[in-house]
Amino acid sequence: MKTSMSLMHAVWIAENDLRQSFKSVRHVVWSLLFPIFMMFTFSFRYGAAEPDIRFINFLIPGIVGMTAMFGSINETMSIVWDRSLGVFDRILAAPVSSASIIVGKTMSGAVMGVISALVLLLIGSMIFGVSFVNISLVLLIILLASFSFTGIGTIISGLAPEPREAMMLSNLLRFPMMFLGGVFFPVETMPMPLPYVARALPLTYATEALRASEVGNISTAFIDAMVLLVYTIGTMLLGSRILMRIMTR
Amino acid sequence: MENAIEVKELTRNYGGLLAVDHVSFKVNSGEIFGLLGPNGAGKTTTIRMICGMLRPTSGTAVVAGFDVSQKPQEVKRRIGLVPDVSNLFGELSARVNLEFMGKLYGLDKKTRRQRIDQVLELFHLKERQNDPVKYYSKGMHRRLTIAAALIHQPEILVMDEPTSGLDAQAARLVREIVIDVNKEGRTILLTTHQIDEADRLTPRVGIIDHGRLITLNTVEQIKSSAEGLRALEIRILNEVDQQRWIPIIGGAEGVDNVFLAEGKIRILSKDLSQIIPTVVNLVDKHGGKIENVSVAQPTLEDAYINLTGESIREEPKSREEYLQRRLARSGLR
Repeated sequence: MKTSMSLMHAVWIAENDLRQSFKSVRHVVWSLLFPIFMMFTFSFRYGAAEPDIRFINFLIPGIVGMTAMFGSINETMSIVWDRSLGVFDRILAAPVSSASIIVGKTMSGAVMGVISALVLLLIGSMIFGVSFVNISLVLLIILLASFSFTGIGTIISGLAPEPREAMMLSNLLRFPMMFLGGVFFPVETMPMPLPYVARALPLTYATEALRASEVGNISTAFIDAMVLLVYTIGTMLLGSRILMRIMTR
Repeated sequence: MENAIEVKELTRNYGGLLAVDHVSFKVNSGEIFGLLGPNGAGKTTTIRMICGMLRPTSGTAVVAGFDVSQKPQEVKRRIGLVPDVSNLFGELSARVNLEFMGKLYGLDKKTRRQRIDQVLELFHLKERQNDPVKYYSKGMHRRLTIAAALIHQPEILVMDEPTSGLDAQAARLVREIVIDVNKEGRTILLTTHQIDEADRLTPRVGIIDHGRLITLNTVEQIKSSAEGLRALEIRILNEVDQQRWIPIIGGAEGVDNVFLAEGKIRILSKDLSQIIPTVVNLVDKHGGKIENVSVAQPTLEDAYINLTGESIREEPKSREEYLQRRLARSGLR
């Protein structure tokens, strides 16, 4: 009974967060415009220069992974905004467990990551004709990637006391991850020691797994999915620990 | 009379800075009790601990028979909190905000709908119930914040600076709401830095400053502690900066305290007959002319100044106090 109530609290918190995010049309449009812009810019540049390689087939899975990262981290960082606006106090003052709050915030972050990534996947498929051999695997990878990015989002939200600091901290992580995570360039072509750095980033595994699902390379996708799972557990545990410390101080 | 809230030696330390220092008081069931003190005095930290949102460093708070440290969820179920800022979800409508709060407090769908209709009606928000809250006026925000705190019909309503930042009309409406809610039998604990608000709303107050409870009594008795003190009010003719006269008059013999109140210089003294000629001569000596003089009854503010030695201040007076306020506010904002 208690567990089901805690779960319902988490669902309501996630639902409320997502409702708040989707009510702001500008928020949704702006957050999707960036990856769409990147998709078109890079497709024109490389599409024209190397017409035989179908660079777009390399690019779209990367953009999808990157979008999941931006969507999840942005949504989870609402914790920082909620704290600065006092909205978080509203939930803290209610008879809701700290675990429900963390699970709720994590769920909304992951859902936002999945939705954003699916929009980009749809655009990529419809406009550039990119298709995936194993779509259920793609969905699983997107979900796992979104959860691992949400974990990073909770860590940032716990460490940064105010929105400005959180934005800087998140950019410090997101932008290097975007360029080193194999979104635009294959990790193998990077100069040393960058491939080692890339292998430490969850986005690298997300993009690699999505590309593997594109061509039906299930074994690679599976290994990457396992790495993402480890990332998810690790970042979630750390993020929850930090948030829990703040909430129960 | 049964205690709705009992606070014993409640203390909160922020990394070496004492925000709340061994504060003890009781709030009787069904009463309106006020914590009066300047910004940064430790009022918000105290109520955050009472509401189970902040762990005390030491001491206990028992709310509706439950120890906050041991049973925070039971306490939260019985308290409705109105914070000093109207912390609602701006993109969402009043109805959706209230719906969310109702869910968090475990109300079933039918009860939620009934209560939401009830509070929207009561707080005159029905017509705008579907508009995003971000388009509401400050007064509407405040009313909705109170409505959200009452959605689960708590035994105790805790209000942090309930009329802060409101215009006179909106503040009056909020005060009327506070009295009505109390008439329904709910206990109210409110904090304020406005002396006139404490005077109007709370029969009993605790004066808190620098984290310590200075006095705890009925407003009438606190006022009578200023007995023996007399208040003289003067205005200097054609003087834009009445404030500059404060140190001049403050230095005169027999003057216990002097401060600005509603544009007039208010002088507290035990012997008015002695200080009237002294003040007149002093003003004359410094090139001023007194526009009018009146003798006033001691107010709660006079008693406050008599007790604390200073008026309720808006600004921190030292770096330590500034840091203390910042830390206290950074709680989870």
